[in-house]
Amino acid sequence: MLELRNITRAYELGGERAGVFGVSLSVPAGSLAVLAGPSGSGKTTLLQVAGLLDEPDEGEVLLEGRSVARLPEAERCALRLGRLGFVFQGFNLVPVLSALENVMLPLQLQGRPEGEAADRAAALLDRVGLASRMTHLPGQLSGGQQQRVAIARALASGPALVLADEPTANLDHAHGEPLMDLMAELCAEQGVSFLVASHDPRVISRASKVFRLDDGRLVGAP
Amino acid sequence: MILARLAFRNVLRNRRRTLLTLLVVVAGYLALALAGGFIAQTFEGLSDGAIRGGLGHLQILDPRGLEGDEAQSLEFALPDGEALAARLRQDPAVLEVLPRIQFMGLLSNGPKSVAFLGTGVDPGREVRHMAVLERVADGAKAPGGAGSRWLSSTPGAREVVLGMGLAKGLGASVGSSLTLMSTTKDGALNAVDVEVVGLQDLGLRELNDRFLTVSLDTAATLVDAGGARSRLSVLLKRPADLERELPRLKALSGADARPWQEMASFYRQVRLLYFAIFGFMGLVLFAVVLLATANTLLMSVMERLRELGTLRALGLRPGQLLSLLQWEGAFLGLGGSAAGLLLTLLVRAGLNALHLQMPAPPGTSHGYELNIHLVPAVYLGAFLFLQLTLQLSALFPGLKAAKLRITEALRHV
Repeated sequence: MLELRNITRAYELGGERAGVFGVSLSVPAGSLAVLAGPSGSGKTTLLQVAGLLDEPDEGEVLLEGRSVARLPEAERCALRLGRLGFVFQGFNLVPVLSALENVMLPLQLQGRPEGEAADRAAALLDRVGLASRMTHLPGQLSGGQQQRVAIARALASGPALVLADEPTANLDHAHGEPLMDLMAELCAEQGVSFLVASHDPRVISRASKVFRLDDGRLVGAP
Repeated sequence: MILARLAFRNVLRNRRRTLLTLLVVVAGYLALALAGGFIAQTFEGLSDGAIRGGLGHLQILDPRGLEGDEAQSLEFALPDGEALAARLRQDPAVLEVLPRIQFMGLLSNGPKSVAFLGTGVDPGREVRHMAVLERVADGAKAPGGAGSRWLSSTPGAREVVLGMGLAKGLGASVGSSLTLMSTTKDGALNAVDVEVVGLQDLGLRELNDRFLTVSLDTAATLVDAGGARSRLSVLLKRPADLERELPRLKALSGADARPWQEMASFYRQVRLLYFAIFGFMGLVLFAVVLLATANTLLMSVMERLRELGTLRALGLRPGQLLSLLQWEGAFLGLGGSAAGLLLTLLVRAGLNALHLQMPAPPGTSHGYELNIHLVPAVYLGAFLFLQLTLQLSALFPGLKAAKLRITEALRHV
């Protein structure tokens, strides 16, 4: 599904060289993999390279067997829109759109008819337990509900891989646990791969594969 | 469509800021539309003044007469002008033909003589189609103008209507007897005694000081014109057809034909001046609206960096982000222009209802009532101008958004 080969992405941070260095890993289809490690270990950097949000200095990113790291921006956009989903730590929903419209957004950007997009978005919101909150704006939802909307949005276009950056970091225990349960269920149910960056033990405990990063390097065997 | 919907919601997001931006657009629209309506009133007044002041819609003449002074009266006249006028009156496009004899000479009350520019006109036809009665009515208010009337159509009546300044220069009033002196077309000196029957206000001080009007019969006698006429002023049944009819009437007359705009140099000068003022005002408004709205849109982009980064992460292309900002500019322009249109109609109605008297424009001798015209083309032009300005103002923030590094935008708090 996703294979990273010898990825290096370095940048200056406070006068020191930070990032990821020579990281190789693979995420099989339908698996829930976790990038674990302390803050500043390079989890987000690696996730951004894997999600085609950033280009590696060295190395290759293979998505569904295709080398994609250095594609032109238009193709990277198309891949992000169609084959990848994103869940962010801060939820990152569009505040002026309702929950339903947020989930419809990737579908409408793909040019799907509004009715079809609305049906698919409604079904996904129903699946994440927010059928009664579809018309609510993000500001009218709790953090846990917003993250569920974000997961529904990430799954809307039927991606092969969802990349989640610290999805439970802004949630308390009561909301974080069910969210991880939901992600594990969706992973098994929809055959979508998840690559989650987190140092939360609750998340790591649900992973089918764990990659540990320390100072930008992969440590230990997955 | 999703981009348009998103842009519309974004515009409504910070309502106070949007309102301030809209106020700038509304003020711009109001200024352009009202100035355009005022200028349209001025142009209409000037063109009407030129056409009904004697030029007609077009003039049939000998072009050499435009190049310099005639050495003697009617040197560059239409030799069979009266016959030509009769022929042109038969044309279906022509409403009326008003022959003119132009001459110059001295006007004397005995002890004092003053140089004049004279025009001989057909009193009956002139009063039906030209603004002579208004001019005489205004002249009647001047000292010595009491009892002013227009020239009578009685053949052989030797009457004159003087410009107010000319009358003042000679100490003449209605009822005064004066002597017109000029040269005939053969160069001989001739004189005719006339009675002042009216004073006229021609709107320009320079004309009032020099100009007088007599009947064609009087002028023809003075300069021994016979059937010759200096020029023919032609009025069309459909003024809008001027451009189409001009070459045909020129060919029909066998002389030169000039449209009134070409003959009305004052009109052309004022028009140029107003266009320059309007253009400068437009430039200032463009700069003000551009800077104000670009600043607002840029602030809105800076506040939404993470959101824009998220949209890019979801797959929105840089060009689509640019479009999003263009839509936002478009909505601001549309909203501002719509509100501006309503406000313009209200302000226009209010100002016109006040019947404000405007001071006399430079070079003219009387003021006029303010009547700001409703000109759809100006309103449409103001809308297009502001819309273009808003699209331009959205370009810079849009380009900034489109060039965002996604990873940096996502880190933005």
